[in-house]
Amino acid sequence: MSKNPFPFETVSRRNLLKLGAATGVLGPLALGTGSVQAVNARIHVVIVGAGAGGTSMANRLSQVLNGAKITIVDTREQHYYQPGWTLVASGVWEKSKTVTSTADWLPSGVDWVKGKVAEYDPDNNRVILEDGQQLGYDQLIVATGLQLRYEWIEGMDTRLIGQGKGVGSVYAGVDEAAKTSEEIDQWIASSQGKGLFNLPPTALKCAGAPLKMTFTTLSRLEASGQREAYDVEFMTPSGRLFGVDFYNQFVKQRFEEQGVTRNDHWTLKSLDSDAKRATYSVEGGPDQVKDYDFIHVVPPMTAPDSLLNSPLVNQEGESFATWMKVDRETLQNPDYPNVWGIGDVMGMPSNKTAASVKMQAKVLEQNFVAHLQERPLPAKHNGYTSCPLITSIGKAMLVEFGWNGELLPSFSFIDPKEESWTVWVMKERMLRPAYYAMLEGQI
Amino acid sequence: MTITGTLTVLWYSAQPWLWLIALMVVLFLVPQVIARLKGYHFSAKGGKGSKYFPPLIFILSIFLVPLHTDSTLAYVNTWVDWIALLGASFGLALYAWLVFHPICYLRNHKA
Ligand SMILES: Cc1cc2nc3c(=O)[nH]c(=O)nc-3n(C[C@H](O)[C@H](O)[C@H](O)COP(=O)(O)OP(=O)(O)OC[C@H]3O[C@@H](n4cnc5c(N)ncnc54)[C@H](O)[C@@H]3O)c2cc1C
Repeated sequence: MSKNPFPFETVSRRNLLKLGAATGVLGPLALGTGSVQAVNARIHVVIVGAGAGGTSMANRLSQVLNGAKITIVDTREQHYYQPGWTLVASGVWEKSKTVTSTADWLPSGVDWVKGKVAEYDPDNNRVILEDGQQLGYDQLIVATGLQLRYEWIEGMDTRLIGQGKGVGSVYAGVDEAAKTSEEIDQWIASSQGKGLFNLPPTALKCAGAPLKMTFTTLSRLEASGQREAYDVEFMTPSGRLFGVDFYNQFVKQRFEEQGVTRNDHWTLKSLDSDAKRATYSVEGGPDQVKDYDFIHVVPPMTAPDSLLNSPLVNQEGESFATWMKVDRETLQNPDYPNVWGIGDVMGMPSNKTAASVKMQAKVLEQNFVAHLQERPLPAKHNGYTSCPLITSIGKAMLVEFGWNGELLPSFSFIDPKEESWTVWVMKERMLRPAYYAMLEGQI
Repeated sequence: MTITGTLTVLWYSAQPWLWLIALMVVLFLVPQVIARLKGYHFSAKGGKGSKYFPPLIFILSIFLVPLHTDSTLAYVNTWVDWIALLGASFGLALYAWLVFHPICYLRNHKA
């Protein structure tokens, strides 16, 4: 239990239930996740991936399925609170704040197979692990997240991060996030130079993170008192900065006000880290080369290879090719009704956030149970996604929207179009607790 | 959100601060209990400490609470921000009064 250095990190659901029992309030209430009635189901459920989506579903299903065998497959011993990495890479958080033990979040009745799925064989209701082991299932939940494609950028290697070569990337991992912050510090200490930031040409998780990294870096440059000594440029492959028009315009205007040069329709193609030079392919024109002192690399992203080579993926020509095929409202695979998806792996607009996982988990739990009972699937995902858009270290906007970019604010008293200290405090202090409650299937 | 869900979030939010909460409870209870054994009640006469410290803490909190959250007063912007900040500052000032008032009472009685 005491694998983690901070008291907060050592909390387990068992401690929480003890507290609940002690207060006499929580114990009885903790028995169910809310709206779904427990059912008897002598089935084998396999969940691939013990990240945000997989862990949340393992907890939810273990509470509503009596008699079911639940197996979760993942190699990762540590659970990462990825939304905290932006704060780590911005020098606000220690990296230890985002790391807990996977085992601490898994309910006791769930089997954890420490392996990686290499192949999906839905025609025979089985998955094959990298070590050749085969796992049969009655129901399969795919929660593998996505694969970062740094290798698609020639010359880019995540091992460059932290080498003092001015290369950073918040997405690469928690250590790399901390090293990204060090690279930014070194750039600032050099008292001048150019910083390059980019969006990828694919869908991405937390689409706000590349913007947040730019804004927090601008905060740090401004705090140095020599903002004019630094050039900051932002490259967009699509010409857009954000999917929702209001925020797209807001960020464009804020970039102008803060002296950020935008290069639209530029895609990062290659990197020469020794020469500190990046090459971009430019839509309708020749490639462009930029020298830099710091570059924040956001790689292309797709579903993991194992899924891309399976019948569970959207085919070429279908929308969201390179992502898992699911009905975006029910989260069920239309070709294999006993296969479900949750989280970043799925092909749907936006929705690659932990906030979406929170909503999807409720929908998936209801539909999964209804499917077992041969009832029509009752729940529909509305596309909810959210991202506290940090616009400076110390303030943020609470961006929440659905499928068509319509705003879906959770709190009537928080204006989604205003920058606010309260929203920053939510991001910095409240969202990690909410995320952990989500992992436990409590919210 | 269910009650369990709300309690879970609150529990995890409080976790890093349990030591501080415990310390504050002790700092509140010790003078209150000792002073009450000697006839103290809320409307008893306090002293300079209970008169000047709470407003001072209120004013300081307005600057220090945003700093404590890695932010700054300049970013306190919306009416919700102001209500949250004034509420937190008022709460801290009230807490200071609850601690200093019985201490001042005890000092008055010693003198
Ligand atoms: C820098 C950054 C900032 C972010 N900011 C926010 C934010 O502010 N708000 C927000 O809501 N979200 C944010 N997110 C996004 C959020 O973290 C993800 O959307 C969420 O973690 C997705 O959950 P998931 O379960 O789909 O994937 P993950 O949590 O990534 O978990 C996937 C799991 O699957 C495992 N896996 C992969 N392949 C296999 C395989 N073949 N076999 C077995 N296991 C496998 C992996 O080891 C991993 O444990 C951010 C993410 C990053 C990186």
